[in-house]
Amino acid sequence: MSKHLPLKHAAALLRSMLLLLLAFSGSMVFGQGRTLTGTVTDLGTNESMPGATILIKGTSKGVSTDLDGKFSLMVLPDENTLVVSFVGYETTEVTIGNQTVINVGLVPSKTSLEEVVVVGYGSVKVKDLTSSITTVKSEELMKTTSSTPLQALQGKVAGLQIVTNGSPGDSPTVRVRGVGSFPGRDNESPLYVVDGMFFDNIDFLNPSDIVSMSVLKDASAAAIFGVRAANGVVLIESKSGAYNKKPQITYNGYTGYQVAQNVVKMANAQQFSIMALESGSPADETFILNAMQRYGRSRVNPNVPDMNTDWYGEILRPAAISSHSLDVEGGTEKAKYSLGANYFFQDGILKMKNEYERLNLRSRVDLKATDWMTIGGSMILSNATKFNDAANVWNDVYYAVPIMPVYDELNKEATPKNYANAQNLGYRSGQNPFPSMENNIDRMKIKKLLADFYAEFNLIPKTLTFKTTYSHNYSSIDQRVVNLPWFAGDGFQNPDATITRTLSLYNNQFWDNILTFNKKMGDHDLTVMGGTSFKDEGFLVLSAQGKNFPTDMEQSWYLDQSLNILAESVYDGGLRQYGMSYFGRLAYSFNNRYLFYGTLRRDGSNKYQEKWGTFPTIGLGWVISEEDFLKGNDIVPFLKLRASWGQLGNDRIQASDGAYTSSVASTTLGGIVYSGIVVSNSYADLEWELTEETNLGLTARMIKDKLSVDFDYYIRDTKNAAIPVNIPGTGGSVLRSVGVIRNSGLELALGWTNQINDKLSYNVNANVSTLKNEVRDLYGQLYLDGGTAEFRQRSYVGDPLMAFFGREVAGVYQNQAEIDADPIAVANGLVPGDFKYVDQNKDGVMDDDDRVLLGSYFPNLMYGGSLGINYMNFDFSTSFYGQSGNKILNRKRGELIWVPDGNVDADLATNRWHGDGTSNKYPSSSGLRRGWNQKMSDYFVEDGSFFRIQNIQLGYTIRNSKWLGGNFPVTRLYFTAERPLSLFKYNGFTPEVANGWDSQAYPVAAIYTFGLNVKF
Amino acid sequence: MKKYKFLLIALFALTVLLGTTGCEKYIDSINENKSLTGATDYSISSNMILPLIGTYSEFNNTEWENFPLIAVRGDDVNAGGLGDQQDYAETDNFNYNKDYWMYNSLFQNYYTNMFSANSSIEQVELYLEAGANQAIGSQYIGEIKVLKAWWLFNLSRMWGSLPIPTKSSPSELFVAPLSTKDEIMQMISDMMDEAIPVLPAVRPNERTDIPGGVTKYTALAMKALANLELKNYPVVAEATGEIINSGKFILESDYYELFKIKGKLNNENLLEMQYSDLGQGSGDNFAYLFAFFGPQGWTPAVAGSGDGWGFFEPSLKYIKFMLNRGEVTRLETSVLFTDRGIAELKTDPNFANLPAWISNTTRSGDVFNDYARALFASGKHYLPSDQLTPGRTDYGTNKNFTCIRYAEILLMYAEALTQGAPGTAGTADDAVNALRIRAGLSPLTGVTNDQVMDEKFAELAMEWGTRFYDMVRLGRLNELSYEGRSFSADKAFLPYPQNQVDLIPILGN
Repeated sequence: MSKHLPLKHAAALLRSMLLLLLAFSGSMVFGQGRTLTGTVTDLGTNESMPGATILIKGTSKGVSTDLDGKFSLMVLPDENTLVVSFVGYETTEVTIGNQTVINVGLVPSKTSLEEVVVVGYGSVKVKDLTSSITTVKSEELMKTTSSTPLQALQGKVAGLQIVTNGSPGDSPTVRVRGVGSFPGRDNESPLYVVDGMFFDNIDFLNPSDIVSMSVLKDASAAAIFGVRAANGVVLIESKSGAYNKKPQITYNGYTGYQVAQNVVKMANAQQFSIMALESGSPADETFILNAMQRYGRSRVNPNVPDMNTDWYGEILRPAAISSHSLDVEGGTEKAKYSLGANYFFQDGILKMKNEYERLNLRSRVDLKATDWMTIGGSMILSNATKFNDAANVWNDVYYAVPIMPVYDELNKEATPKNYANAQNLGYRSGQNPFPSMENNIDRMKIKKLLADFYAEFNLIPKTLTFKTTYSHNYSSIDQRVVNLPWFAGDGFQNPDATITRTLSLYNNQFWDNILTFNKKMGDHDLTVMGGTSFKDEGFLVLSAQGKNFPTDMEQSWYLDQSLNILAESVYDGGLRQYGMSYFGRLAYSFNNRYLFYGTLRRDGSNKYQEKWGTFPTIGLGWVISEEDFLKGNDIVPFLKLRASWGQLGNDRIQASDGAYTSSVASTTLGGIVYSGIVVSNSYADLEWELTEETNLGLTARMIKDKLSVDFDYYIRDTKNAAIPVNIPGTGGSVLRSVGVIRNSGLELALGWTNQINDKLSYNVNANVSTLKNEVRDLYGQLYLDGGTAEFRQRSYVGDPLMAFFGREVAGVYQNQAEIDADPIAVANGLVPGDFKYVDQNKDGVMDDDDRVLLGSYFPNLMYGGSLGINYMNFDFSTSFYGQSGNKILNRKRGELIWVPDGNVDADLATNRWHGDGTSNKYPSSSGLRRGWNQKMSDYFVEDGSFFRIQNIQLGYTIRNSKWLGGNFPVTRLYFTAERPLSLFKYNGFTPEVANGWDSQAYPVAAIYTFGLNVKF
Repeated sequence: MKKYKFLLIALFALTVLLGTTGCEKYIDSINENKSLTGATDYSISSNMILPLIGTYSEFNNTEWENFPLIAVRGDDVNAGGLGDQQDYAETDNFNYNKDYWMYNSLFQNYYTNMFSANSSIEQVELYLEAGANQAIGSQYIGEIKVLKAWWLFNLSRMWGSLPIPTKSSPSELFVAPLSTKDEIMQMISDMMDEAIPVLPAVRPNERTDIPGGVTKYTALAMKALANLELKNYPVVAEATGEIINSGKFILESDYYELFKIKGKLNNENLLEMQYSDLGQGSGDNFAYLFAFFGPQGWTPAVAGSGDGWGFFEPSLKYIKFMLNRGEVTRLETSVLFTDRGIAELKTDPNFANLPAWISNTTRSGDVFNDYARALFASGKHYLPSDQLTPGRTDYGTNKNFTCIRYAEILLMYAEALTQGAPGTAGTADDAVNALRIRAGLSPLTGVTNDQVMDEKFAELAMEWGTRFYDMVRLGRLNELSYEGRSFSADKAFLPYPQNQVDLIPILGN
C-alpha cells in the first residue's frame, strides 16, 4: 500500500523517493571505481544536511546524504566534478581530483525559486508567486540581539519601516508601505499571524522561536486576510521538527552590554551661566548667584558656580543583555517534534528599575497517525516581567540645570535621600529627575499562551486535503504602578504613596477549516483552496487606584493595604468581537509560464453596522524565461513579470457612535434647577477602511542564479480612511470614513551569492525603497490640523499626512541697521538676535498666513544592505540601514517655551547669536525667551536622515574535533556588535522617532555581545 | 474499504465546514460594554418640555467670551485688561484679526446654539407627531425660535452676511447660501411673527412653567430690534407700542439695584440669562463668569470676596458725557471709579473739579483699588460683596445677565417716532421722560432724535454694544472715532474667522 502523505510533505517525499531511486540505480549500474565519502553541512549553521543530492557532473549518477548528512559514492577515474545541491541552498560544484573524503558546505540561498513560502492558509513556490512577499529566515533573525524578532527586519525588507524603540521589552513601530490610516489613533500597525493566529503585537515571541517571518506587502498577498490586512501582514512560522531526523540539541546564547549612543551633549555650567547672564532676565542671573552662594564659585572661572552636573551622564548606565536558548528537534518516520526554551534578560540604560525578563517555552509535535490523517499541536508559553522607564525623565533631564547636583547635603529635609531641588536656587520647578526615577516603579507581568491543535485528512492522496485547526491565545497583563512618597521641598514632592493596578485579560479563539485541492495535469497546475474561519476575541480590563499603603515592604503594595481606594479610579471595561470569514484561493499555472492567482475573502464582524465586507484580489505572472526565445539562456535563467490588484480592509477603526447623541443639560430658571436635554446631530458614521492596491513587479535570477533581482512598484489607496471632519460653524469634529490617502513607491532588492571555492563563499544583499505619502481627499476640507497649537502639523490635500507646518527662518537679525531696514522687524519691535522669517505671501506683514509646510516625518527613501563572508571556519557578516527625507520636530528645544529657565543643548548654547555675525541659525539667549522666536518654525524641524551600521558579527566554528576521547560538539563562538555606529545630523539621541516629534524618545543603545552556539 | 473511508472523511469535512457557518449568528451579537441609547419614547408627552429646557440651558450657559466681543466696540466702553488678550484690545481699536480665537469662538458658540435649537424644534415636532398637545408644542417651538433669533441677531450684527441654519445638522453649512444682514433681519422679523401668536401674553416673570421664560413680548422685542436694524421704523413703533400698551412692564424704580440681585426676574426685564447659587453657601452654583469685568484688586466690604480680570472699562468719553449731563444715578450705576481713574479724569481742565460723590468706594463699601489694567470697571456687571450669598466668593456670582429690558423698548419706541413713525402708545416725550425721571433728571419736551440717541447712550451703556450698532446704523461714524481710534464704514463688520472660512466655502467668496 502506498503512503498517503499530506500535501505539505508530498514534495519532500517525492524528492526523497527520487533520490533513493537514483542512489539505488547508482550502486547497481556503476559497480567499479573507488569509493568517495564525505559529509554535507550547512555553512551557515554547520548542521549536517540529510537528503542533499550529490551528482557526478554531466551524468544522472548520484546519491543523497543519510540522516547524518554523510554520503558514500563510487566514482570512476574520468569523473571529475561533484554537483551538490539541496532545496533552499546554492548548488555547489566540487572538483574530485584524487581525494577520497570530500566535505561540502552549502550556502543557504534566500533566492531559491523552488523554495516554498507561506501565503496564509497554504504555501506557494517562490517561482509561482505573483505578489510581493519578502521572507526573512531564522539565521538572519538570530543575528540581531533583541527581545523581539521584529527588530531584525530593519533594513532587510524593502518597503518596510521599522522604528526602533529603545525601552527594554518594547516593540518597534512597524509600517508596511507607508501609513494608510490617519495617524494618532493606534490603528496603523500591521497584522501578525503566528501559526494562523492573529496578533496585534508579537512582543512575546523570541527570535529563537521562529523559523521564518514573511512580510506580505501587496494586496495580492495579504487579501486572504481580508478586513485585517490593510496595513500589511507579517506571517510568522514557529519552529517545527523534521521527519527522519536525528534528535538535535542546540544551545545558543549570548551575553553582553548595551551602551547609549549619540548622547546629546548639554550646555555645561559655564555655557549655561553665560546663557543665563545674556538672557536679559534678572531672575535667571539671580539663580546663578544663588548657585554660587550655595555651592561656591568655580576655581577655573569665578563667575560660574562650582557645580557642573552632566545630567545625561548621571541617568545613563551601561546595561546588561543576555539570552539563552535550548532547542531540541528531530523526528521519526511517523512523527516530528520541536521543543525549546529561552530565557532573555535586558536591563534598561536608564538608571532606575527599568528591565525586561522573559522565559519562553514551546513545543510542537506533528504525528502521522494513520496514512490518511496527520494530527499535531503546538504551545508557546511566554512569561515576562517588564519594568517600564519613567518616560518623562528623558524630557525633564534636558532642562535640568547643570549648576545643581543630584544629591544636595544642604537639602536636609529631603527624604528618602538628600535630593537636590532647583527651587532652592529660585527656579520654578524642582528639575531633579532622580526622585521620580528612584521612587516610581512601574511593573508589568505579561503572560501569554498560544496553543493550537490541528488534524489534517487526505481525502484523495496528494490531491485533496482537509485541515481543521483550533487555536487559542490567552494573555494576561498585570500592571502595577507604584509611586512612593518623597520630599525635596514644599513645591517638589510626592506626599502620597499611590498604587494603580490594571489587570487586562485577552481570550482569543480561532477555528479554521480549509479544504485544498491540487492537481497537475500535463501543462496545467491547479491549486484550489476554500475555507472558513470563525474568530472570537474577548478583552477585559479592571483597574483601580489606592492611596497610602505601607511602603516599607513590597509585599504590602496592594490596593487592599491602601487607606483609601479612589472610587472614580475604578474602571471595568471590555469588549467581545466575533468574526466569521469565508475565503478561497485559486492558483493556476500553465506550462510554468503563465500564472494566475486569485483570492476572495468575505468577512463578517459584529463591530460595525455594516456587517459584511468582501475583499478580492487577482494576480498575474508571466515567466518570460520559459518562453522559447529565452529558454535555456545562461544570463537570465529566470525572469518573471508580475501584476496584481486587490482590496484590503482595516477594522481597527472604532465603531460608530450611533445617530443622535443626547446629553442632559441643567440650568436654573427662577432660582430652581431644571434639567433638560440637548440633542446634537453630528455623529460618527464609521466602517472599516478599504484599501486598494496595485502592484507591478519583476523577479529575475541572473548570471547562473548568482544574482537575484526583485523590483516592485505599488500604488496603495485607502479609499475611505477614517478622518476627523471638522463641523462647520460649531467647531469640534467627527470621525467619518471619507478620506482618501495614497502611498506609492518603488522597491528594489538585489542579492548576490557566490561560492568561490569550498573554503570561501560570500553573499551581498541590498535593497532600496521609496515612499510617497499623499493625502488625496479630506471630504472637501483643504486641510486637517494636527499636532498642537504651539507645534502645528497639518495634512494638506496633495501633501503627506501630518506634515510640520510653520514659519520659515531666513536668518537672524544681526544688527540694528538690519532691523531698521525691515518694516516687519520694526512693526514687531524686534532686536538683533531675533529670527528673521520669510514673508511667504510678501504682504509686508508677518502672521499666520506666512506659514508653510516644513516637511514630513515619513522618510521618502530607505535603504539597507548586508555582506556575509565565510572562509573556512570563520564567518563574518555585517548589515546597514539608512533613511532620508524625513523631518523630526525637536520638541526638546521647542518646549523651552514652557521652561524658559531650563538648560539647552551644547550646540544651541555654543552657536547662539551673541553679537553681529556670530550666528545666522540660532537666536540669542534672550531671544529664546521671546514669543517671536518661539513660533513654530523650521528652527524646530530638523533633518531626520541617518545611516547606521546595524550589525557586525564575527564567528569561528570548531568542528570535527575530539575531546576527552569523544566527538567535540560543533561549536560556534561569535561576537556581535548591534548598531555600533549611527550617523545623523539631528540634535537628539536618536533619529528614530515614530510619530516625528521627539520629546522623550528612549535612546537607542549599541549592544556588544559574546555568543556561543553548541550543537550536540 | 478505501472508498468507504473516503466517504467518511468527506462527510466529516463537510459537517465541519457547514458547522462553522453556524457560528455566523455571533456576527449579529451586540457589542459588549456599550449602553445603547434606545429610541426615545415620544409618546410620553410630558417629556416634550425637555428639549425646550435644553435650549434655555444653552442660552443661560453662555460662554464668557461671547458678550465681551459683541459689546466692546462702542464709544461707551474700552477693552481694558491691558497686556492680555492683545487682539481683543485691537478689536476695540477696529484692527481686526481673522485668526483671533475669540472671533472663531463666538461664531462657533452661537452657531452651535442655533443648531441645537433647530434640533430641539425637531424633537418637539416628534412629540407632536406622537400625539402631544399641539398648543403647548407650538408654544415651545415659538420660544425656541425667539432664543434662536437672539443668537442670529447678534451674529449678523457682528458679521453681516451669514449662512442661516435651518436644520439640526451642521453639514448644511457646506451648501447653505449666504444671506445678507437685511435678509437675516427680515427673516428674524418673520420668524417672530410666527412665534408671537403662539406665545403667552404675560410678563416673563409671570410664567410659572418656565420662570423668566420667553413670552409674546420677548418676541415683539426681537421683532422691534430686527426692524430697527432695517430702519423699518413703523414696524418698530408698532411692536414696541404693543409691548407698552400691554401695561405689563414697569420700570424698576431703583436703577442701581436693577443690575444687582433685585434685578433678577424684575418686572422691567423681557429677556435675561438666569443664574443661581440656589441660596446655598456651597454646593452647586449656576453662574455667569462675571470675573471678566471685575477689578484686579479690591478691598471688598465682605472680606474674601473674589476680584476679577480687569477687562471691560467704561470710556472717559462716556464718563465725561454723563458728567456734562449732570447724571448721578446712571453714572454711579454704570461706572466704578479707581483713584487712578479719577486722577486721569481730572487732568482734563473741564473736569478738574468732580462731584463729591465720585470716589473709589461704592455705596456698599467695596473699595476699588488701583490696578494696572484699567482705570474704571463696569458697574452694571458688578455685584456688591455684601449681596453675595455668605460662603460664595466668586465675583458677581448669583447675578443674572439681562439681555432686553423695558427701558430699551421705550427708547426704541421714541427713536422710531422721532424718525417719523406713527405711534399708538403715547409720545416720544412720554417714553424718554419716564427714564429721565427715574434717573433723577428733568423731563424734556419735544424730544429730537438726537436727544433720544443721547438718552440711549446714557441709559444702555455697556449693554450688548447697543451704542455701537446705533451709531453704525445712523452713520454717525465720527462718534466711534474717539480716544485715538479711527472708525470707518468698512470696519462695521468683523472679518469671518479664518477657521470657518477654511470650512465653509461660501464665506471665502
